Amino acid sequence: MTQDILDEDDHEEAGWENWSGSITADPDEILEPETESELQDIVRRCADDGTTVRVAGAGHSWTPVVETDGVIVSLANMTGLVDHDPDAGTATLYAGTTLEEAGTELHTRGLAFPNLGDVSMQTVAGAFGTGTHGTGPEFGNLSSVLTGGRLVTGTGEIREFNAEDNPDLLRAAKVSLGTLGIFTEIELDLQDTYKIQRREYCTNWRECKEHIPNLIEENRNFDFYWYPRSDEVKLRLLNGPGGGTDHDDLEYATLVENQTGWWQETIPAHDDIGREFDEMEYAVARENGLECFEKARERVRENWRKDVGWRMLVRTIAPDEAMLSTEYDREAMTISCIQNADLEHWPYFTDMEPLFREYDGRPHWGKKHTLRAAELEELYPEWEHFQEIRRDLDPEGVFMTDYLEALLEDGSSSEVEPT
Amino acid sequence: MTDSDSETDETPIGETRWVIPGGHVPTGSTGPEPEMVSHDKLCVLNTGPEMATLEVTLRYGDGHEAGPYPLSVASERVRHIRINDLIDPYAPPLGRDYAIVVESNVPVVVQFSRQDTRQAENATLSTMGYGE
Ligand SMILES: Cc1cc2nc3c(=O)[nH]c(=O)nc-3n(C[C@H](O)[C@H](O)[C@H](O)COP(=O)(O)OP(=O)(O)OC[C@H]3O[C@@H](n4cnc5c(N)ncnc54)[C@H](O)[C@@H]3O)c2cc1C
Repeated sequence: MTQDILDEDDHEEAGWENWSGSITADPDEILEPETESELQDIVRRCADDGTTVRVAGAGHSWTPVVETDGVIVSLANMTGLVDHDPDAGTATLYAGTTLEEAGTELHTRGLAFPNLGDVSMQTVAGAFGTGTHGTGPEFGNLSSVLTGGRLVTGTGEIREFNAEDNPDLLRAAKVSLGTLGIFTEIELDLQDTYKIQRREYCTNWRECKEHIPNLIEENRNFDFYWYPRSDEVKLRLLNGPGGGTDHDDLEYATLVENQTGWWQETIPAHDDIGREFDEMEYAVARENGLECFEKARERVRENWRKDVGWRMLVRTIAPDEAMLSTEYDREAMTISCIQNADLEHWPYFTDMEPLFREYDGRPHWGKKHTLRAAELEELYPEWEHFQEIRRDLDPEGVFMTDYLEALLEDGSSSEVEPT
Repeated sequence: MTDSDSETDETPIGETRWVIPGGHVPTGSTGPEPEMVSHDKLCVLNTGPEMATLEVTLRYGDGHEAGPYPLSVASERVRHIRINDLIDPYAPPLGRDYAIVVESNVPVVVQFSRQDTRQAENATLSTMGYGE
């Protein structure tokens, strides 16, 4: 299993490409509407012309969820805070706002997301779209704070939704890949702004493995990286200042980072990732998670050491009720495989994927995987209900591409390659 | 202190270009990891007053070049770099013959070592490169 280094020429020039360059598109138009009504006009025009329209966030997904040769819409001009209520702990944002901008805006008003992922360059709507998550057994994915909003449907109409009037639509909308409509505003249930202490420790798998369950329980947000070429491990503990596992109980590890700051500042510190990579991530039931990781670790040591230097990342997430959430109705542990963008990723990912599937793993919607509708519907009890809502809001399929048809409608008839 | 002593003190020891042709990271290992994992390692000594900024390029038998990997070694410090850990711009393939070329903005001394634990009677090899 020898990896080939990709030639520069393999990354073709294109009108649109995702962050890592592994997904490219050559759309007829890339449009940046300034207003909701301009967006409605675009969707209506596309529906009349039989053209597909896809909404892009920051392009941080590794699956072709944005790719189309029709029209790509960006909400880069529809950003910022619409309004907020500090007493109720709620806020409404324009959907194109990035997580970083949202973090700053909310913090100055005393509000905060309960949790974030690893970076904050994504847009809020884009992050919700694929079920982006952070870590921590008490915290759902990012979209779990969505309580309502406005979207432009496939017929160009505005649909408002909230938990009281349309609870099913809300549960479908939380993780919906831009297939129900284009969010223009999103309402969030937030918490008071807070400080976080980030501690990072270096150790190795042999020393730390028996401590992992305790570390998950004792810390607000805990995750770990495993380094395939050395068996070393980095433990990351995020807590309110002074909280979490006592330093003295970590004598098997070396403290390498200890910083305290406002919640939103602890994340952008990681936005300096200069090197691009591609990623696959599966969410398995938490009770089997470490067993699955042990097998994944063995498989990487056995088959992939000579080709893969990137770490594997293991996190936990609380269950939720969003119809297409990878944490739907179960506590999850996520395991991710990463490969440099300049190296081939499919040989590695397709060797690892069957293992995650043995554990009924659900693939992250924004990260590489090969599953299609026939396999996915087995994993999601409310699969068909989601598709009904989607067909109702987008009857002509103006938001659908070949990839999304294969993913959501009919996997078996697709010619689509793994992407 | 004589004049010649003080001159030696002020002149950094080493060269700016080093070549080690005998690279090969064994892919098998025996024994507890991470201590016993097989690896190739560069040890770079910077005796000078300036930070050394290095570019390490790996040249493979099939003509492929990996890197350059940017590295730095602080003034009057030594740094150990395992080839296995390089990741930027990408993880170099292991288990293949390769040569290492180190280019530095200031003179440094480069030593190369290999830990090969494929069999339980483990072996370590160490050698200097060629400098100019
Ligand atoms: C460096 C890096 C780090 C990452 N870290 C994490 C992590 O820690 N945790 C994690 O879970 N994932 C992570 N991801 C994955 C990433 O968060 C998701 O793929 C996310 O969806 C990307 O958001 P985006 O704004 O770039 O949206 P895009 O990738 O551009 O779009 C994602 C989906 O959202 C839809 N969408 C975008 N805007 C709207 C809108 N206004 N209305 C309706 N639908 C919309 C799109 O159509 C698409 O289906 C990471 C990715 C990268 C590149």
